[in-house]
Amino acid sequence: MIINYILVIISAIILGLIFKLPLLPDKPIRRSWKISVIYPTVIIALGLYAIWEYFFFHDIYAALIIAISAVVFTKFILEKLVPPPVRGDSS
Amino acid sequence: MNQLVAIALASILSWLNFVTIDIWMGLPEAPGVRGAKVIGESIKKRGGDLGGGYFSGNIVCSPDASAGTLLASCSYFAFGSPVGGLIAALFVYFGNRICADPGYAGTTGALTTTLLIWATSYIGLSPQNFIVGMIIAILTIQGLYHPSASKLIGKMARKMNRKVIED
Repeated sequence: MIINYILVIISAIILGLIFKLPLLPDKPIRRSWKISVIYPTVIIALGLYAIWEYFFFHDIYAALIIAISAVVFTKFILEKLVPPPVRGDSS
Repeated sequence: MNQLVAIALASILSWLNFVTIDIWMGLPEAPGVRGAKVIGESIKKRGGDLGGGYFSGNIVCSPDASAGTLLASCSYFAFGSPVGGLIAALFVYFGNRICADPGYAGTTGALTTTLLIWATSYIGLSPQNFIVGMIIAILTIQGLYHPSASKLIGKMARKMNRKVIED
């Protein structure tokens, strides 16, 4: 249901701001590695909820829990799991 | 809709989708990794354009809008709804991060393709058409003649103000 996806987006944005993530990456955005609310938190939250909805069921509580998990994952785990390249690794 | 017309239409849409997003996200400006630089310089040596060469190198070395378009089409087909496109965007993002790329082009490409497939489903296009269409689209850039393809990309990049950044 589309309403759950909208809820995932809104709750991920609100929670991301509460967790003090910036709303957008630094400018120029296309070269920024900074983690932000819109990118990638919302993308991760939407993807995770899409997986949940496909394999399980539509659920408003699941949408909220997934939005919280996506924010926590982005804020604390993402950069440890897939860190930005160290200078010298790329050209 | 006739399958050949559908595939031709899907190829044009996929080509425009991935080329404009990849240029907009600055792929012709600089190589993201050393491999992309080598490819770009090699294409330039063979009479191509350096910006277009970097573009080709970057799409080989990490999943940018080209891969985003193809994977979103495959995923839309596999999951049978736009949900597949959102899942593809998630995996394309992680694929990008692993390939030392922030991933804007890939995820944007996957999401716009999902929208395109959903919108064109009303005129009879299917995700299968987009899978074939994207393969044809990428063939025109990567598989036919690099110097001409890179010159075309270079020209488009300059028009979109995405010139090679000299370092």
